[in-house]
Amino acid sequence: MTHCKKILSSSAAALAALALSVNAAHAACASDYLPASNDRPGGFPKRALTMIVPYGPAGGSAQVSQAMAQAVTELTGATINRDHKPGGSGAVGMTAFMAAPTDGYTVLQHIDDASSAHARDSSQPNPARDLIPLVTSQITFSQIYIRAEDERFNDWNSFVEWVKNQDGQATIANVSKEGSMERVSMKLITDATGMRIQQISFDKPGQRYGALVGGQVDALFEQPGDVRKFLDAGTFKPILTLLKDAPSAFAGVPGLREAGLDFEPLFRFRGFFTHKDAPEDRVRWLRWAFQKAYCRESYQAFNETKYMTLIESFRDTPGTRKLISKTIDQYRTVYKQMGLDVK
Amino acid sequence: MRNLKPGHITEAAFWLALAGFFYAKSFGFDREIEIYRFGAAAWPRALLLLIALAAVGQLVRHWLIPAPANDRGVSGESEAAAAPAAAGLRWHLAAFFLLALPLAYLVVPDWAQARFGLDRPALHALKLAAAAALLLPYFAVVRANPVGVMLAVPVFFGALMQDIGFYVLAPLFAAAVMWLMGERRARLIAAVAALITCVLLLLFVSLLYVGLPAGNISPFYEIGAALVNFLQ
Amino acid sequence: MEFFANFAGGTAALFGDPVGVLVFAGGVLGGMLFGAIPGVSMLTLAAILLPFTAHLSPAHGIMLFSVIYCTGVYGGAITAILFNIPGAPENAPTAFDGYAMTRNGQAGKAVGAAVMCSALGGVVSALVMMAATAPIAAWAISAFGPPEIFALVFFGLTVAASIGADNIWKGWLSILAGLAIATAGLDPVGGIARYDFGMPYLLAGIHFIPVILGFFAVSEIFIQAEKKSRGAYRAPELSVNFPTLAELLAHKIAVARSVIIGFFCGILPGIGATLAAFMGYNEAVRWSKRREEFGRGKLEGVIASETANNAATGAAMIPLLALGLPGGALTAMMVGVFQMHNMEPGPLVFINSADLVWVVFAAMFFANLSILFIGYLETKTIINLLRIPFQFLAPVILLLATVGAYAVRGLTLDVIAMFAAGVAGFFLRRSGYSVAGIVLGLILGKIGEQVFAQSMQMLHFEWSGFLGRPIALALIIAAFLTLITSVYRGLGKWRESARHV
Repeated sequence: MTHCKKILSSSAAALAALALSVNAAHAACASDYLPASNDRPGGFPKRALTMIVPYGPAGGSAQVSQAMAQAVTELTGATINRDHKPGGSGAVGMTAFMAAPTDGYTVLQHIDDASSAHARDSSQPNPARDLIPLVTSQITFSQIYIRAEDERFNDWNSFVEWVKNQDGQATIANVSKEGSMERVSMKLITDATGMRIQQISFDKPGQRYGALVGGQVDALFEQPGDVRKFLDAGTFKPILTLLKDAPSAFAGVPGLREAGLDFEPLFRFRGFFTHKDAPEDRVRWLRWAFQKAYCRESYQAFNETKYMTLIESFRDTPGTRKLISKTIDQYRTVYKQMGLDVK
Repeated sequence: MRNLKPGHITEAAFWLALAGFFYAKSFGFDREIEIYRFGAAAWPRALLLLIALAAVGQLVRHWLIPAPANDRGVSGESEAAAAPAAAGLRWHLAAFFLLALPLAYLVVPDWAQARFGLDRPALHALKLAAAAALLLPYFAVVRANPVGVMLAVPVFFGALMQDIGFYVLAPLFAAAVMWLMGERRARLIAAVAALITCVLLLLFVSLLYVGLPAGNISPFYEIGAALVNFLQ
Repeated sequence: MEFFANFAGGTAALFGDPVGVLVFAGGVLGGMLFGAIPGVSMLTLAAILLPFTAHLSPAHGIMLFSVIYCTGVYGGAITAILFNIPGAPENAPTAFDGYAMTRNGQAGKAVGAAVMCSALGGVVSALVMMAATAPIAAWAISAFGPPEIFALVFFGLTVAASIGADNIWKGWLSILAGLAIATAGLDPVGGIARYDFGMPYLLAGIHFIPVILGFFAVSEIFIQAEKKSRGAYRAPELSVNFPTLAELLAHKIAVARSVIIGFFCGILPGIGATLAAFMGYNEAVRWSKRREEFGRGKLEGVIASETANNAATGAAMIPLLALGLPGGALTAMMVGVFQMHNMEPGPLVFINSADLVWVVFAAMFFANLSILFIGYLETKTIINLLRIPFQFLAPVILLLATVGAYAVRGLTLDVIAMFAAGVAGFFLRRSGYSVAGIVLGLILGKIGEQVFAQSMQMLHFEWSGFLGRPIALALIIAAFLTLITSVYRGLGKWRESARHV
């Protein structure tokens, strides 16, 4: 059993997560109330669906798209071709999707980048109004990581103290998109603590993690599912969880309340959408298929490996709209505070 | 000055104009980033200044030293230069006009949509009309300037692909290339175009499940989608 | 000996499993074919195959990609030599002398040298990779931070600027043009849109694959079409006389030099094999007594470049497997293969799945060996593509290139960019500029700007910070030495030509 190996080599945090996820697998799932099968409206879909993924074939969006496509196929027998169109922080895939025919055969995977892009520039599509959300299937929080064997600091308080002593020379690896969830969150953290830390922008996740492994930077901003291999190997260690209260899987890591940071955390979320103008009966069927597929065993098992069961990851159509609208308002407020121009 | 040829000055002017144009454009994104004081414009501007410097450097070199007879030897790529069919100001102007047509197709309908608030069917109708109208000049000049048309047709093929789709365009494009390459046997062209398309589609769509653009405009989208459904 | 036990174990696991043998054979043939068909490349094949690896075991999936990598880098040399269409950027320097040899009626000799040298460089690289992956990776990741990588990129650009173009100014203009093209899209620090001209698709930036296809495959067809239109087209002469062993042995020093250069360049993320090939070629020119013969069909040019780029294949696996850090487009797709099986490449792979690692190592070793045997057979068939009348070959190449450009990112922008690059190449290639230099500038431009920004952020915007880092300092000094020697050499050439006039 692979689980045995994992337990042997994993940190206490990962062990706790495993225990929790085993429980979650037996708990009731969010879309259990939906009917187990649903007639295809007028035979739709008669051929394979196309899922536009606005990010490359490696990475978080690619994986969630693959897992969801697989679950929908298991559930309904309909095949889904994934079409990766990376670029422009998701803007390219969004543009291609908006130009595609609105017959319901094209669906879109997107993340919170679409919400922050609309908050920044309202001529960009608003995913809550200009698209129909089918399901949100991953919601996760961020953490700050350090090297586990770092001798200069070993928890949040000693880290903050050390950073303040460096007089702005300390560094943290972060993403390269201004106004993104990651950069806005770092702004909130530095404002709340009053520390000065130089963010280093890394486009590619691998380079970001390598910079921390190789000692090029002092810390890293990331979501736990993406660095799980480094957590399991004991290379990285989380020191701050960007949630009001830390989940039990990361019991030793302070949340915002415990760290004395007073702001609303921002989340990374990934979901699936279709066109606003798609035929109504087809949309209804797609919503059912994607929401029901969320509770398939294969999809739930996937979400567990990505730490996506620590907080509720499921939102249906109205729930997603609410989440997106709240997020957009939150970003608008912070952008104005940051002095970024909002169109 | 006796070493300078008009070509050398044109060359330098081309690079300087290019660098100047993009330098002017860089004011559109010239602002500081909260974690990076050089901002988004510093790097491209430095490159453009270096381009201008190198262009002037080359001009000075031509001015000081006469070009050796075998100046082109190193790259080993320039045997085409002897007596090209592609030469002269008129030829170049015609070629650049032909190359600008696909760009017009990419820009004008979208601009019209934003300007007049066209709905989807109207935009599609406009695009088809634009494609037909913009293709006419190719037929008009193909005898006078076959090389210019050969350069421009593939670009137009690429520009049309998102709307019309690979499946409908590929055989037409293959036939057009053969004709432009001097093949005149119509039946042979049709047969080879069909053969090439079939083999490509069998290999990439049936065997390897590659998702090629099916097109966005009706009825080309329906044809492409039906073909994919049939082949997979 | 643990090493031999591991290697034997990997070999047994590879050839003891019929599915494994099938996947291995498919990878070897597929890589060679896609590498060697003008218009598509091993990257096309890899992008196409990525979704299928979900149906294979993780070991077979990774093995398939590493085999495609080895054989594809070799296959790309064949089209570089025969058609002046490098299958991948790392084959571009091969075309300098390889295509010239084809025109001199020595295609067989050039291809034969590519076969031998690719196999040799690859096998040596695979052996070193097996022995040294873990320690080398640990060293490279802490020794090479953004300032060192920036210094290396700078060094690489000075090397590339001095080869391939008519003079040093044209060389730099080519490189700078490539660097400037790379600035289109989002900037690497703030994600701010640059040069998008209101077209959202341009936010994706210009990818190097369509540009390579355009510069080499498409523009070659335009050039032939132009020749046909004035009746100057002549079909290339065919020959399959391979080089003798003695001819190759005469270049053993060049081979050894390229193996070392290739391996060390290959370890470094991002720049790897392409820079390896350029530097291997440049060093061959620099050490040669008969520099002026390069670019006109000198066997040593093919040898230097082909040995170096295959020597980089094994090296590129080191940061991927040991640290989970992909170096180039193909190794990034390998990360995708891992992730499809809910695995992550990185230090844990060695602990949890040592069997997988050794199957992959064994497969790469034998893939490089099989280049030697299958390469000869394949070459004799591929070379016959040249017999097809050009008006029928042209649409096939153009359509294959269309698929190849589109499959990388699923954007029709890339198809347009490819044909636009073809037009640009048509004009540039008869003007003494180096299209290979533009491509290298385009590839290194994205990385270069990013590591520059990271360095500045890390060094707190103090330029002197570079001088405090020994490796970065050494590379910057090397870059300036290259710059000075190339300018000096250029001056010498001028004086000489001035005397003649």
